[in-house]
Amino acid sequence: MLRDFLVLAGSSILHRKIRSWLTVIGVFIGITAVVALISVGLGLERTITDEVAKVFGVDTFVLAPRGSFGAARTSEGSNQYALDLEWLRTLDGVLTAAAVRQRTAFVQGQPGPEGRLAQGFLPVMGLSPELITSFSSFVGSLEVEPGGRLFQEADSVVAVLGREVATRLRVDVGQTIVIAGDADKPELTFTVVGILATADDGRPQQGFTSGMPASATTIYIPYDTMESLWGAAQDVLVTLVRTAPGRDVDEVANRAQAELRARGSRVTAITYSDISSAIGTVTSTVSAFLAGIAGISLLVGGVGVMNTMFTSVLERTKEIGIMKAVGAKNSHILSIFVIESGMMGLVGGIVGTLLGLGLSAVASAIIGRMFDVRIAVVASPVLITATLGGSFLLGAVAGLWPARRASKLPVVDALRYE
Amino acid sequence: MPLLELAGITKDYRLGKTFVHALRGLDLTIEQGEIVALMGPSGSGKSTLMHILGALDTPTSGTAAFDGQSLQQLSENQLVTLRGRKVGFVFQTFNLVPTLSAQKNVELPMIFLGVPKRKRAARAKELLTKVGLADRIRHKPNELSGGERQRVAIARALANNPEIILADEPTGNLDTETGGTILELLRRLSVDDGRTVVLVTHDPEAVRIAGRVIRLRDGRTVEETANA
Ligand SMILES: Nc1ncnc2c1ncn2[C@@H]1O[C@H](COP(=O)(O)OP(=O)(O)OP(=O)(O)O)[C@@H](O)[C@H]1O
Ligand SMILES: [Mg+2]
Repeated sequence: MLRDFLVLAGSSILHRKIRSWLTVIGVFIGITAVVALISVGLGLERTITDEVAKVFGVDTFVLAPRGSFGAARTSEGSNQYALDLEWLRTLDGVLTAAAVRQRTAFVQGQPGPEGRLAQGFLPVMGLSPELITSFSSFVGSLEVEPGGRLFQEADSVVAVLGREVATRLRVDVGQTIVIAGDADKPELTFTVVGILATADDGRPQQGFTSGMPASATTIYIPYDTMESLWGAAQDVLVTLVRTAPGRDVDEVANRAQAELRARGSRVTAITYSDISSAIGTVTSTVSAFLAGIAGISLLVGGVGVMNTMFTSVLERTKEIGIMKAVGAKNSHILSIFVIESGMMGLVGGIVGTLLGLGLSAVASAIIGRMFDVRIAVVASPVLITATLGGSFLLGAVAGLWPARRASKLPVVDALRYE
Repeated sequence: MPLLELAGITKDYRLGKTFVHALRGLDLTIEQGEIVALMGPSGSGKSTLMHILGALDTPTSGTAAFDGQSLQQLSENQLVTLRGRKVGFVFQTFNLVPTLSAQKNVELPMIFLGVPKRKRAARAKELLTKVGLADRIRHKPNELSGGERQRVAIARALANNPEIILADEPTGNLDTETGGTILELLRRLSVDDGRTVVLVTHDPEAVRIAGRVIRLRDGRTVEETANA
């Protein structure tokens, strides 16, 4: 019987083609907007999490200063923390770890033409050589100028300089600089082994250090050598930890955080899943907000369906009378009209979903072109199913009231209607 | 037991402050298998009476019983079922669904009874052939002549094999020959299958097949004659 009702409803829709189409247009504009916005949102989220996964790998976590990530972000507190890197490397489940610490130090370079020594207070960063050997995805491809090199694990009193700082100190590869540490520690003379190349466009290279003092103005020395100048690390910016194969990253990260805090390190462990869920929260809040705005046009579409259905009921009053005279129950009439309005909603949903997905692909391409990234195009099956179901429901609900009115008409009155 | 029994039926229509008394105290008994002709001037209440006989409308006062079952006691859905299974109605104005083909119109009562598609289609074609419209089954009502529409309406009335056929001027739009075929069809339904037929008519030919003629005037029975 349901099939027959579908046929009856369909024949009525087709009978007033133009009006039905206009109604459907009202629905699909809203659906298009919602689907497009959500799809673009999902695409952006996928793109960002993919990028993060590429850099992060699923077996790595980061130790950031406590309070610098997530809901508990606080402005107070230092953005540097104490760390016993050697101890961390022995923690169960940890494969390797690398850290970055930073100081500002008095540095002396080479004499200038008038014999005056180039000197000044400059940022000095201590990098674990493992950063370059084991965590290259974080660092990016750091290039040094020809003739130089980055330091290795065996190196100790060597430095790699940013281009700007090298110029200021008047040093070249093979020459030396002197860095002064704490008052009770001796000055050390570092051999410059490499100078970081600037990118083609003259900007300092992007990489792990982006967001910190620009690399062109920084002096890089081995992490362990920092200890000879300033003692045990109290000034760590960030630590990267790779877990042993097969270990649960979140478990190791939680344990590392708890034990480090117990030892006085104010750290927060951030894993890949923390980051991707944080990204997910942000992007889905944004797309829910946008979709909510687009949803208003859906409401308008629903009112359009309701209006059409009221007209349809009025026009077909006589037909309703006929159907009731030949044995249609109120529930039959109700079903026919609800199916009719639901079908208009569904057609709007199908057209809207297709257009919305198309639109999101175009939008992704445009955004991608603007920001020079490849944005994933996501056609989420959940979204599509929900949209189609939802649009049928929208139509059906909009048709419910008119349909009830239709079904309640007394037979003879309905038959007399001209 | 009579098939239909009406006693003291009145029907008032209210038009603003005034009342139209369409039926004013009417008694009528119809036996299983008989053919009854209802006659009377325009506005005398024939169509109104037919609606009450077919459980499409309820009287203002009085009692109506179908097969011994009082209609007042039936729920709306029970009335629908009664109409669908036992009553075939041929309306004065045909009342075909304009968006549906002749065949679908005839199938309509069967759809609501849940008759399977195949069986329905076969029955509809058979009935349309019977009323001489074998070559018009795909036509929509507005593609049919008045007489053809009337015959579709008759075919639809017969769809569910009803016990009683209520036909409001079934030959009013037909030429003598086609009208004759329809009347013969109705007569055979009564004589061969024991169906009951009530028809409103001004046509002397139609009166001839009736066993009884009832004349209405101003909402009352004024004369009742048994035909030979
Ligand atoms: N819904 C209604 N509202 C008001 N008055 C009505 C209504 N239906 C019928 N009437 C009145 O009731 C009276 C009987 O109408 P009915 O249709 O039964 O006449 P009829 O005998 O079938 O006439 P005809 O031969 O012209 O078809 C008429 O005077 C008509 O005006
Ligand atoms: Mg009449």
